[in-house]
Amino acid sequence: MTSTDTQDTPGQLASAASTEVIIQLNKVNKWYGAFHALKDIDLVVHKGERIVVCGPSGSGKSTLIRCINRLEEHQEGDIVVDGILLDKNLKHIDHIRREVGMVFQSFNLFPHLTVLENLTLGPIWTRKTPKAEAQEAAMKYLTRVKIPEQANKYPGQLSGGQQQRVAIARSLCMNPKIMLFDEPTSALDPEMIKEVLDVMIELADTGMTMIVVSHEMGFAKTVADRVIFMDEGDIVEQNEPFEFFNNPQHPRTKLFLSQILQH
Amino acid sequence: MVVVRTQPTSSRTAPLSETTVIGWLHKNLFSTVLNAVLTLICLYIIYVVVKGLWIWGVADAVWVAKDRRECFDISIDGACWAGVIQWIDNIFYGRYPRTELWRVNLGGLLLVLWMAPLWLPRVRAKIFIGLSTVFLYPFLAGYLFAGGDKSLFMQVMVTLAMVCLAGNTAHAIIGVSSGRGLPDTLLRWLGKDQAPEATQRNTLLVLLAAALAVGYALQTGWTEEVVPWSKWGGMFLTLVISGIGIATALPGGIILALGRRSKMPVIRVMSTAFIELFRSVPLITVLFMATTMFPLFMPEGFVLNKLVQVIIAVSLFSACYMAETVRAGLQAIPRGQYEAAHTIGLGYWGMMGLIVMPQALKHMIPNIVGSFIGLLKDTTLVSIIGLFDILGMLRSVSQDVPWRGLHKEPLLFGAVVFFVVCSVMSKYSRHLEVKLSAGAKR
Repeated sequence: MTSTDTQDTPGQLASAASTEVIIQLNKVNKWYGAFHALKDIDLVVHKGERIVVCGPSGSGKSTLIRCINRLEEHQEGDIVVDGILLDKNLKHIDHIRREVGMVFQSFNLFPHLTVLENLTLGPIWTRKTPKAEAQEAAMKYLTRVKIPEQANKYPGQLSGGQQQRVAIARSLCMNPKIMLFDEPTSALDPEMIKEVLDVMIELADTGMTMIVVSHEMGFAKTVADRVIFMDEGDIVEQNEPFEFFNNPQHPRTKLFLSQILQH
Repeated sequence: MVVVRTQPTSSRTAPLSETTVIGWLHKNLFSTVLNAVLTLICLYIIYVVVKGLWIWGVADAVWVAKDRRECFDISIDGACWAGVIQWIDNIFYGRYPRTELWRVNLGGLLLVLWMAPLWLPRVRAKIFIGLSTVFLYPFLAGYLFAGGDKSLFMQVMVTLAMVCLAGNTAHAIIGVSSGRGLPDTLLRWLGKDQAPEATQRNTLLVLLAAALAVGYALQTGWTEEVVPWSKWGGMFLTLVISGIGIATALPGGIILALGRRSKMPVIRVMSTAFIELFRSVPLITVLFMATTMFPLFMPEGFVLNKLVQVIIAVSLFSACYMAETVRAGLQAIPRGQYEAAHTIGLGYWGMMGLIVMPQALKHMIPNIVGSFIGLLKDTTLVSIIGLFDILGMLRSVSQDVPWRGLHKEPLLFGAVVFFVVCSVMSKYSRHLEVKLSAGAKR
């Protein structure tokens, strides 16, 4: 069951996932200037799979998921999302971005719009949903993240945890097939981390395909189908969570886990 | 050892020095001996200046006289406001024919009527009202001020402007009274509000066509006597030039700023070159170029009037300054906002128009109004190239035979006029800032 090699088919490990491939990365390379940030990354994600990506800072975790919705442009290799090749064609990029939701470390809510407007902006302008319908959907998702009463406030009036839940709801309003989380709890106070993780766990229960960059090992153990460990632009190790935490293979993984689990 | 507070500490009232006037005086004006002395000295200086101005400008001033000699006969030490009062029409309207002054006043009134809905609550589609003010009002006002025969283009624009003004006003009245928009109300009256979308749209188009036809018929029957631009002058001319400059500066500046930040090299280089060229040259040079050099480059027989050239020059100049203001505002928007806009699927224009610009413009209000004020004052430079704007008129008072040598009073009057206009603008900008930031306040 262990794999130190990316050639292994991760589908066997993904208990909740189907065999339908939704994201595929083939030999993806990314440079920032001369710095080689992603090195020959191969990754297959199945529909409904929940993946946690961890690793030291600068290892390329964020870059990896930001390449999937073209917030960063990779230079070599192919990325196929939802059957569409990510290339320079703006239509392809727009299509992929509509299918892929993203939650950021710093929330990135639109401060000049109310919570409700934050949620309905995407559906109204890019999906051409009628306003009333979009608002109804938005209220549904706000209820799901447990803050319907904040709908008419501005983001600046909410706590960090509430803002992050609004950000999750905003992504869900676009009915994405895939959700990417870029360190969603790293900027939060300890008391607020739980409320965000609870929402994410509930989301995982609905069968959403999720890729989560996070150091919340508890979350990884409960939710993930697969944990990916990255270092210096490589996927060093990937395994199902139990094996990953209890029986790490690569020395770098062992070092990383021993350091973060010490406290 | 454990320390536990069982009861929360209750709040007490603040000390008197924080809440009373005496406390404020003590804290801010008389806190130390030195501060007390400085306060008294300042009060004395204010007293001397105000008293001198009062005696010269009001107590000993002459308000009615037929020339400067008579002013001196009445009071040698006081101000001679009689000259300013006799010239007041010239100062405000230049040499615009006295029988036609109503046209200028009506033009101003129409502008107020057009823009008033922007400040009314419950009126919708304010962006449209604002855009129509910038793009249609100038044509209506332009014809009103200039008169003469209308070219086909002017006929079309005047028609559009008239229909738009009528629509705006009706829309505003309906909006204030019922909170609905004009199209909704029209459909309701016709009983088509439940009809399918296509029918609704067609009905509205038919109504619009009818309104345009009526407007066209009305404007063909409307002709005004020609008033050549050389007769325009005074405050009126200043407001025309700076008004058009202000109205075009913001859209022009936004386009140039976006161009300068564009990823496309050709657009970026051209925008940058254009901005830097205009910014590195003083306005007066641009004005001279526009009025004396520009015609030399044009083909034989190509005549633009001087006023149009000046307006184009001022607009381009102010757009370039505005572009840098806008660019500064754009740089204040964090990258995360762009990324978030991308992830909800917005394209470039959606991202700029819905997410980035609204936030950036809010940051930029003080700077934008600052450049508007600067532009209004810079416009007085046109008096150097032979247009009689308000400054030109104020200076001509002293050339007029009965008032020869009367410099101080008209210039002081001009200073007061500028101060009033500019401080109203900056007060309004403060108000906007507070109003717009109210929502985002923590």
